Amino acid sequence: MQEGMIDPRYRYELGWRGFFLMHLHRFLQRLRRWGGQSRLILQSPIGIIGLVIIIFFILLGLAHPLLMSTVWDRATYDPFIGFDATIESHPSMPSRTHLLGTDYQGRDVLSQLAFATRTSFAVGIAAALIGSIVATFVGIAAAYYEGMVDTVLMTIADAFLLLPPPVVLLTVGLIIELNGLQVGLIYGIFAGLGSLAIMVKSQTLAIKTKQYIEAGRIAGGKTWRIIRVHILPNLLPLLVVNMMFIVTGSVMIEALMSYASMGLTRFSWGYMILLVQDTFREGKLSLQWHVLIPPAIAIMLFCGAFYLVGHALDELVNPRLRQK
Amino acid sequence: MPNLSSRIPQGTLRFIGRRLLRALVSLILFQVILFSLIQALPQDLVELEIAVGSQFEAGMEEFQAPEPEEPLRKQFASWMRGFYGGDLGESKELKEPIGDILASRLPRSLLLLLPGTVAGFLFGIWLGKRVAWQKRSWLEFAATLGGTAFYTTFPPWLAFVMFQVIGLSLGWFPVGKTIDPVKWFREDITINEVILKIFLTIGVAGLVYLLFTWLTRNQVRLRSRLQTIGGVGIIILAILPWIPSAYGPLAIDLLHHLVIPLMTLILLTFGETMLIMRATMVEAMEADYVPTARAKGLRDSQVRDRHVARVAILPVLARFILHLPIVIIGSFILERIFSWEGMGKILFDAVKVNDLPILMAVLSVLGVTILLSHILLDLLNLWLDPRQRVSEVAEVVIPGER
Repeated sequence: MQEGMIDPRYRYELGWRGFFLMHLHRFLQRLRRWGGQSRLILQSPIGIIGLVIIIFFILLGLAHPLLMSTVWDRATYDPFIGFDATIESHPSMPSRTHLLGTDYQGRDVLSQLAFATRTSFAVGIAAALIGSIVATFVGIAAAYYEGMVDTVLMTIADAFLLLPPPVVLLTVGLIIELNGLQVGLIYGIFAGLGSLAIMVKSQTLAIKTKQYIEAGRIAGGKTWRIIRVHILPNLLPLLVVNMMFIVTGSVMIEALMSYASMGLTRFSWGYMILLVQDTFREGKLSLQWHVLIPPAIAIMLFCGAFYLVGHALDELVNPRLRQK
Repeated sequence: MPNLSSRIPQGTLRFIGRRLLRALVSLILFQVILFSLIQALPQDLVELEIAVGSQFEAGMEEFQAPEPEEPLRKQFASWMRGFYGGDLGESKELKEPIGDILASRLPRSLLLLLPGTVAGFLFGIWLGKRVAWQKRSWLEFAATLGGTAFYTTFPPWLAFVMFQVIGLSLGWFPVGKTIDPVKWFREDITINEVILKIFLTIGVAGLVYLLFTWLTRNQVRLRSRLQTIGGVGIIILAILPWIPSAYGPLAIDLLHHLVIPLMTLILLTFGETMLIMRATMVEAMEADYVPTARAKGLRDSQVRDRHVARVAILPVLARFILHLPIVIIGSFILERIFSWEGMGKILFDAVKVNDLPILMAVLSVLGVTILLSHILLDLLNLWLDPRQRVSEVAEVVIPGER
């Protein structure tokens, strides 16, 4: 069945029940189609590896509050003020009670690692959503209403291209303190107004020349409907791929920001590395590697996983590569 | 002799002119955005308090209200006038002209950044070319994973590991300094002079090598052997004048300190270039001219390097230039970790003490650099890719059609 058609079972149902059933049906249908399309990624082993790592991090992030309220004692395992008095000296190597050991203040490393996962997800998801929404609006507007609108929007995009989000965040973001969502928001706006908007615009221009757009217009389709039904679905692959790359970039920049600044309230993996390195310089050298390696590996795996998924999707949706 | 204007394709000049105009407009808009962004930041209140406090101590009768600031419009106008006149203003913290500060630190940054990016790019191209040519799926799989791992390594962490393991534990190379002060103490030479001489030597040697290859282009049989001998000879000739002078040992000392930061930068930048090069190579290997080149009897490496890689390298270069700001910022962070006193140190110190004029100057210099690299990319595309010319020029007359 084609999109937008109403299942004849519900067509003559009136009232709230019919309305509800109709929209439920539409939603399920769309979900089914999405499921069918997204199963494509399982064809590439690289995509599977990326997905497994992402699911692992989701579980890790969800496990932290559960573990804190059930298994882990709050006084011992709190990521900020926890302290294990049963161990003689901190930092301590990995043991059965502390799977990744403790840092120099006696805090559990695994608990810190899991707690910092939320910051990364907040930053990454906020940046990806905001960036793609902004880029979609700007890109479609520029491509659809050519002429003056196009010129103005593309000039703005050219100017924002000179202010890439890493540069802005690593300078301005260190002066004012931001939380994870704000970092994601700024990254999304600067990425979405810059390079991504230009990409969306050129893709929209390519779609606009297709004949079904013309057919839709002749059939009396309104602008909004043509954009929603014909243009947006064709833009989705490009947007999803770039969302993955935005997640990679923004999480990395967030880690760099928390590494480069002092005394933050935002807790993230970069901040963990900063804390350890400061004590390295004070001479507790040989004992600290087990605290330094996990957050670095976590950053690498998290960013790498989204990059791999983006890479796999890119090869799938790029028709020239798919034919091979 | 053919007229010059007839050799430039119709419309190219118009395209370049339009591109430069667009660049100018976006540069001005960029400065407006940057200025308003910086002005929106919280200004330093401590300084104002100190000023008011000292006046309070001096006596109430002499009290003067702090000078009212100029309206933003006038501040912006004066800043723009200064920027285009070559005057970047004065640092709030150091009380020195920003242009002088930047000029004194720029060479050190370039000494790390230029060789790092060029070597990382070439290494990535070399590796990606070979991986794609092998056509073994496990190798491609491993290369993708490895490249992604290097690309997404947390830069300060890698730098720290290099610092601790190679620098301090193994002690192979010195870290944490730009130079060894003991060696420089006697001589009346600054670091920037040595860096300038290094760049000059490399530039002249490169030009001479290009000239040499151009002169030997007709020696079909001997070309590769001649070029190898010539390259080695030019390197020896370039090193010779350094040996008797006082600059030689100092340059070796400087380069010795450069090794670890440079290695770290190369490790961080080669991964992505390799991934994209592999993907574009796989695409370019499908083209029809590949079997043709093979049928001509060319060697495998010749088909790979001269026919496939040459086509595949263009999109990689484009992507690399677009990612240049990220590489620059990464190199600034490395400078900070290795105490390499360049632009990165200025930038992060300025951020720490809230020195907004320096921040503004560094960001606009960075923006201008990015803009120039984009223009360069467009011109390069125009030169190398004829399709771009066709789409930009309004009327294309295909011979025989009209």
